[in-house]
Amino acid sequence: MADERPTRLRDYGLQSERLLWPTKGPSRFEQEMGAEELERALGLTTLEKAVRWAQTKSMWPDTFGLACCAIEMMSIVSARYDIARFGMEAFRSSPRQADLLIVSGRVAHKMAEPLRQIYDQMLEPKWVIAMGVCASSGGMFNNYTILQGVDRIVPVDIYIPFCPPRPEALMEGIIRLHEAHQAGVPPAYERVGVAT
Amino acid sequence: MSATASPPTTRRWPIVADGQYDGSRIPSRVPTVLDVPEELRSSEDVLQINFGPNHPSTHGVLRLIVDLHGEEVVGVSAVIGYLHTGFEKSMESKTYWKGVTFPERIDYVGYQNNGLVYVLAVEQLLELEVPTKAKWMRMLLCELNRIHSHLVFLGTSALELGAISMFWYCFREREMLLDLSELVTGQRMHTRYFQVGGLAEDIPPGFYGECRKFVEWMPHALDDYKGILDRNEIWLERTQGIGVLSAQDAIALGQTGPNLRASGVDWDLRRDQPYLHYDQVDFKVPVYAEGDVYSRYRVRLEEMASSTNIVRQCLDKLERMEGMPWIADDRKVVLPPREELHTSMESLIHHFKIVTEGFRVPEGEIYVAVESPRGESGCYLVSDGGPKPWRIHFRAPSFVALEATATCLEDALVADLIAVVGSLDAVMGDTDR
Amino acid sequence: MTDWLRIPGYVSHRDGREMPTVTVETGRIREACEHARDELGFQMCVDLVATDYQGWGGQGVSGYIGTASGRDLMKPMTQGLQALPEIKPKRFSISYHLLALRHGAPRVRLRCWVDEGERVPSVISVWPTCDWHEREQFDLMGIVFEGHPNLERLLMPEDWEGHPLRKDYPIGGEPVRFSDEE
Repeated sequence: MADERPTRLRDYGLQSERLLWPTKGPSRFEQEMGAEELERALGLTTLEKAVRWAQTKSMWPDTFGLACCAIEMMSIVSARYDIARFGMEAFRSSPRQADLLIVSGRVAHKMAEPLRQIYDQMLEPKWVIAMGVCASSGGMFNNYTILQGVDRIVPVDIYIPFCPPRPEALMEGIIRLHEAHQAGVPPAYERVGVAT
Repeated sequence: MSATASPPTTRRWPIVADGQYDGSRIPSRVPTVLDVPEELRSSEDVLQINFGPNHPSTHGVLRLIVDLHGEEVVGVSAVIGYLHTGFEKSMESKTYWKGVTFPERIDYVGYQNNGLVYVLAVEQLLELEVPTKAKWMRMLLCELNRIHSHLVFLGTSALELGAISMFWYCFREREMLLDLSELVTGQRMHTRYFQVGGLAEDIPPGFYGECRKFVEWMPHALDDYKGILDRNEIWLERTQGIGVLSAQDAIALGQTGPNLRASGVDWDLRRDQPYLHYDQVDFKVPVYAEGDVYSRYRVRLEEMASSTNIVRQCLDKLERMEGMPWIADDRKVVLPPREELHTSMESLIHHFKIVTEGFRVPEGEIYVAVESPRGESGCYLVSDGGPKPWRIHFRAPSFVALEATATCLEDALVADLIAVVGSLDAVMGDTDR
Repeated sequence: MTDWLRIPGYVSHRDGREMPTVTVETGRIREACEHARDELGFQMCVDLVATDYQGWGGQGVSGYIGTASGRDLMKPMTQGLQALPEIKPKRFSISYHLLALRHGAPRVRLRCWVDEGERVPSVISVWPTCDWHEREQFDLMGIVFEGHPNLERLLMPEDWEGHPLRKDYPIGGEPVRFSDEE
């Protein structure tokens, strides 16, 4: 009866296009967790589901715009790519009030400390999106001053490539985060540990 | 030069230990630092707070260490470097063709102008002739980018001062501009469309129609902005008379662009040192003499109208240039068109050499400056005859604009600090490079 | 024509394609800048750049791609003769790009040559804008400007060691598989 038991994220109701791709194999997360742990991690009670639904529908980002990606992040607030549809137009300036840290732009070593401070000041549950290639991996700047990927200092949930990502790409990342959370995927700090 | 400009010739900025000013508001100990006055230094009422690198106003990662006496700003110093990306060192290890992607990310709001200044520098060292269609299109895109940059400035400055709805108005037009950019180059921002020798690809059909629509619409949008802000009493209260920078101080502090023109100096590189085809278009250069935040706002607003006019004239010229070359013919420097790669061995070899080894630029050095939306953006390029630059340095107008922060903040309140820093229109990528 | 010879500390000058370059003795650069500002009318200092010439000419590049005017396509190579770049007097050159706000936008590049460890008089009293420019060149190139009231690191963190833009400072970063960059 192994094929009846849910073993993939898509079996838990995630609708993301990538996950529904018929020929796509198990993702890294699915491989690492394995079928048993996945079930334990994702099996949710009704109350948990309700709480997660509420968290998803109003996940407030922190104003952490660093470089070019920040301009594209500002444009998702604008009327065309309206992120208010998802309840996220309230960009909180104080990390204590924010849920989501969208690291948008290249992180210099000088900025790494403030980034980590901001992340530490956020209250659980909190998520991090590494927006753009510079935040994901250092991007085109492989040099003495740019942190080669922000996941070296904070645990990251979603990586969004492109330089800079289109607003639709950022929205796709955010939607996947919402879906993942709603399905029960734990935030990155629970998987990786707060101090990376 | 107009009658309002009176650049100084013999006025000196004194370094006087006891802090006497010679009619200038530039702080005497360190020009970029406003020191707390003697009588307040040991006072308990002075609070030093940190407008840290992450703060609500949308300039990016600028850190201001501010001493406050109540609401008044009595000391300010700026700490930058939180976005230092090492462009200059990175570009030293990339060939000229590969390096075209870097300059655009320096000033990420006025990105076309940075790309332009880099390719102009390389072309001038190579003494490469750029076809006229490419020059007109470069002008057009740079002016559209100027409008883009001023829209972002206006939207974010107004947002910080509380006129939140301006943000949505400005970004509505910005989306139209980015649609145009995507139509031409395939990418919204950081297009790498300006290549050494001309443009990367031909202008696609349908662009002129779309651009005309934008040009017809833009004056209505500008009327919208004026309708919201120009006679708005709160806006006028918060911007008039705030952050005054006199003409002498502006020149001494190296300001250029809208900051200089708002202080009364009639200087615009497009008119006074024309590059591309700016000598063949008519445009108005707005100059205001008060030097306050309101003047800088008005200069940028009117520059948007003036840029729209330039774009219209460029469109008139470009529509008659169908079928003309968009990039120079020199195959040793310019990549051949992709169709030729299938049939011509020589094109294949040229493509290979240019992409792998890179074309060689003769030994020399050059400094090229263009009028970017923030001021004079320059590229200083030293070549040793090889395929990679020996030294490349970008003169960043935002770097220089932030040096004027302390001077503008004489007798300012905390709320004025936000207005002033916003009006200097500094982009941190440009400042830190 | 401007009389460059009257600049204090004048050493030589060369007319370039976009602006003349005037070489000045390092010790007298401040007087030269004052002269340029007051007598010659270059009110604005646009830029201050330091260049590290260590290793200049060592690559043995020859001018294969000459200029469009001087390139003979029939003889592309230099016939086996290497045309090495001219030797530079000292390790660092500091270029001051000046601009006069007049019709025609006259510009000039004042240049002085500096050795490792040699100090340069600061021109902050001539143009206040050089405050951050000199700090930036100190930070990235390690050139000490004497007379600057606040010569500290600007772009790099305060406790950073080394001067990144020097030629003997590595590009840094991390090795990427299959990449030819060290």
